[in-house]
Amino acid sequence: MLYLDLTLQGLIQGSMYALIAVGLTLVYGLLRILHVAHAGLFTLGAYIAVTVTNAAGSLLLAALVAVPLVGLAGMAIYRLLYEPILHRPPFVALIASIGLFICMEEGFRLVFGPYGNSFDLSPVEGSVQLGALSLQTVEAATIVAAFGLLGALAVFAGRTRIGVAWRATVTDPEMAQSFGIDTVKVRYLNFFIGSALAAVAGVLVALLNNFVEPTMGSVPSYKMLAIIVLGGLGNVKGTLVASLALGVMESFGTIYAGHIMDRDAIAFLFLVAVLMVRPQGLFGKA
Amino acid sequence: MLRLEGFACGYGPITAVHDLDLEVPAGTVFALIGANGAGKTSTLMSVAGHVAMQAGRMLFDGRDIGGASPMQRVTAGIALAPEGRRLFGDLTVAENLTVGGYARPKAEMPRNRDTVFDLFPRLAERRGQRAGSMSGGEQQMLAIGRALMAAPRLLLIDEVSLGLMPKIVDLCYAAIDRLRADGMTVLLVEQSTQRALAIADNVCVLESGQAVYRGDAAEARGNPAIIDAYLGLADAAS
Repeated sequence: MLYLDLTLQGLIQGSMYALIAVGLTLVYGLLRILHVAHAGLFTLGAYIAVTVTNAAGSLLLAALVAVPLVGLAGMAIYRLLYEPILHRPPFVALIASIGLFICMEEGFRLVFGPYGNSFDLSPVEGSVQLGALSLQTVEAATIVAAFGLLGALAVFAGRTRIGVAWRATVTDPEMAQSFGIDTVKVRYLNFFIGSALAAVAGVLVALLNNFVEPTMGSVPSYKMLAIIVLGGLGNVKGTLVASLALGVMESFGTIYAGHIMDRDAIAFLFLVAVLMVRPQGLFGKA
Repeated sequence: MLRLEGFACGYGPITAVHDLDLEVPAGTVFALIGANGAGKTSTLMSVAGHVAMQAGRMLFDGRDIGGASPMQRVTAGIALAPEGRRLFGDLTVAENLTVGGYARPKAEMPRNRDTVFDLFPRLAERRGQRAGSMSGGEQQMLAIGRALMAAPRLLLIDEVSLGLMPKIVDLCYAAIDRLRADGMTVLLVEQSTQRALAIADNVCVLESGQAVYRGDAAEARGNPAIIDAYLGLADAAS
């Protein structure tokens, strides 16, 4: 029973990681940029959720504002930050991205204050009973949202004309262009979808913890980088598996090794160990 | 249909081809031949819009397309089966064809796909297979098929026979012959002079970025000394 419960908790954490990491690996696959500022978009999503819910009293409205708005913010980051430096070596974009991430954290501090915010009234309460297992409603929603959205993304990428064009562009942008695919539109789409998914994760984390603060993205930012390396840079399926594996690993680790080190230390020990054995990641590059 | 006048192309400060004049009449097969590094592929990629034109004019149906993007060219009716084939390896055969027809209206797709499957029945059998996992010959068929999905009037094919078994090469050339019979114009790059002369209506021999012979393929076939003079024994292996 304990094992089942730990696995479930791990999958909840892991599906949260997956929602954030997919956007990161998509950007890497398309542009070969390590988009560190992605974690800032996750934080932005969380802040919008809390602020709008507290102002308007509706979590649904807050989510409907946060997700597309953060998607647009992702597109703006591509247009204003990355596009002008695309022809430079990749580390230029990486440094720019780290710089932007720091700016975003300081921006949150200036706008929302340094101490963090909470929902005035906890908008989701109660729990769901799954046989003998009991889950908070928010935890159940996290799993449903992650699997639902990522499943929808898989269908979109695999079954639609635009999805096929997207994957073709990732493989060979020049040839894709040669057959009439507008690769710049593909990039915007890529940033919109990836950022919107990070915003969903932000909203869910805000609800789970009932707390958002300016630096809530910093641990995820480097954890996500490790996850996408583990999954094989640019490899979406690998990233999903790596996210879930890490979540489960953390969940068991905190119980059995929690007296030696904390959750994040366990996570990174696991990542280091796996990468020592398989430096190319679990599944190789896409 | 395609006309190059005083054409030069290259990469940055380097010129790969200079002062080239050639005319590809509608409904014919035109072969660019020559040794490695002579500028054949650069010329073809420049017609497709991927290598910068540095001088001269490029006319397609009398319209100057020298400044057009690759996207505008495929819409105008020029499609490319590039060197090394450059298929979308993770995508299936059917998905590669979908991308090939991306510039055309969606409604046209089933008809164009049937035409491709009719030309290369092997592709119909393999439609669900990952392109990257197919044999070289099948990949070449798919590269040509993908270009045909754009319903082009001018088809550009680079290195038709490179690395393929003779039987597969025969199959590809039979397909090109059939396309011509249906009115298609083809500009191809070929390292095997024999193969090129056997199918082409016109040939142009490039050497170090310059045209050293240009003329009727039948005439060159009848007088091998012409080609030998320019290509020497370079072609002995094929």
